[in-house]
Amino acid sequence: MTRAALFVAVIVLAWLVWDTGADPVRLARGVPWILDFIRRMMPPDLRVLPAALLGALKTVEIALLGTAVAAVMALPLGFLSARNVAPGPVFYPARAVLNFFRSVDTLVYALVFVAAVGLGPFPGVLAVVAYTTTSLAKLYSEAVEGIDPGPVDAITATGATRLQILRFGVMPQILPLFLSYVLYRLESNIRAATVLGFVGAGGIGFYLQTYLRMIDYPAASTVLLVTVAMVMVVDAISSRLRDRLV
Amino acid sequence: MIEVAGLRVVLPPATVALHGIDLVVRQGEFVVVLGRSGAGKTTFLRSLNRLVEPTAGTVRVAGRAITGAGATELRAVRRQIGMVFQQFNLVRRASVLENVLAGRLGYVPSVASVLGRFPQTDLELARTCLAQVGLVHLADRRADTLSGGEQQRVAIARALAQRPAVILADEPTASLDPALTSSIMDILKTINREHGLTLVVSQHQLETALAYATRIVGFRQGRVAFDGPPAAVTPAVVQAIYGDGDGR
Ligand SMILES: Nc1ncnc2c1ncn2[C@@H]1O[C@H](COP(=O)(O)OP(=O)(O)O)[C@@H](O)[C@H]1O
Ligand SMILES: [Mg+2]
Repeated sequence: MTRAALFVAVIVLAWLVWDTGADPVRLARGVPWILDFIRRMMPPDLRVLPAALLGALKTVEIALLGTAVAAVMALPLGFLSARNVAPGPVFYPARAVLNFFRSVDTLVYALVFVAAVGLGPFPGVLAVVAYTTTSLAKLYSEAVEGIDPGPVDAITATGATRLQILRFGVMPQILPLFLSYVLYRLESNIRAATVLGFVGAGGIGFYLQTYLRMIDYPAASTVLLVTVAMVMVVDAISSRLRDRLV
Repeated sequence: MIEVAGLRVVLPPATVALHGIDLVVRQGEFVVVLGRSGAGKTTFLRSLNRLVEPTAGTVRVAGRAITGAGATELRAVRRQIGMVFQQFNLVRRASVLENVLAGRLGYVPSVASVLGRFPQTDLELARTCLAQVGLVHLADRRADTLSGGEQQRVAIARALAQRPAVILADEPTASLDPALTSSIMDILKTINREHGLTLVVSQHQLETALAYATRIVGFRQGRVAFDGPPAAVTPAVVQAIYGDGDGR
């Protein structure tokens, strides 16, 4: 059984290598080009630093606004697609909608929204909202499904209203989880938003693409360094906040 | 104080957990419900405050029907009934005092409480109830930092804060170190004696049940197999409740 599985895996991998044209020799031959590319990026051209920083700021803004809007929009969807809250006729369609929209990546949404509303950060925000709403709703619904019914029973037994049960029995269990999922999505949205500029949806990606097209590698390397720094700073802040939530 | 008539509970899909229970508990009684695992003790206690919906029959508590009550009346009856659970069921991230204050939710305006506003008298009452279980010094601690025994005492304080007529406790010592059993049962006994509160407590330990109860109700397969004072619990009665087991 395991030998048969191993055999099949080897066959499949071999076919994948052949079909994708994966070739270590070609990679080895390409190494000098990569080195040349890096050499030509040095030293970074710091004259474009202000532009790069401005671009980074835009990217952070796109991710922040998009994530914030999605965090709220995902709330009703999250509850409606939680098995222990929503009745069957609501639950199944809600889950289907989530799975459908989640299978499309932010960058693809950006292409659609650029076509719809034109260039700039706004279609970027819309793209982040479209993807993040559904992915957060999925995470929210799992948090709601994982709730401990014990405290909910205890609050119910005191004669509490539905609103009070939600506030005192349910929210304390799910709110920290929700917030930590939002921060986690913010971190990945910053990464996703760096390439939104490639398709005209604003932010630092626009500068990277422009300088690469102009074959201005020193300028491109400044943009890359700023991107790395931006991602690291946001990750550090966000993971600190998340640690506090647990 | 509690009048149960023809109480039948069928749990989905088709488990008949209780087959028509008739039972009257008088004011001030300390009833211990005995029975094997699966005998229907939890279902019985939870149908008294309608955490489990009875399939048929009626339950009246403190003179008010809880079966058939609409949402508002249901809440009004529930606040007369404190409940203590095997797993304590505290809100883990909230403070000890906030957990006890939850006992007041049935009395305070919904919106104000949701905004975290409780009357000063309720804050004082919550502290008084904490003092009754000897934990007033832990009022500001987060609930999940307490030991199991302490958490169960907070849960008792929460029930007391309801100023209830009745307290239901479902195997309140089963999740605790056996050495803590008497500390919890003693608190319940004190509440029963000094405040005249009616108690219905399920227990899996026969000795504990006999030591604390004024009345024993033995359940077997969803039916009352024995009902009488602890002194009347003979080996034959134990056999009738537990079958061929060793009584534990
Ligand atoms: N949620 C449930 N769904 C279906 N059957 C249940 C459920 N909870 C308990 N039961 C069944 O109901 C019967 C009574 O259970 P329970 O009241 O928990 O007994 P006890 O508390 O005495 O152990 C048992 O047969 C048990 O298997
Ligand atoms: Mg039980």
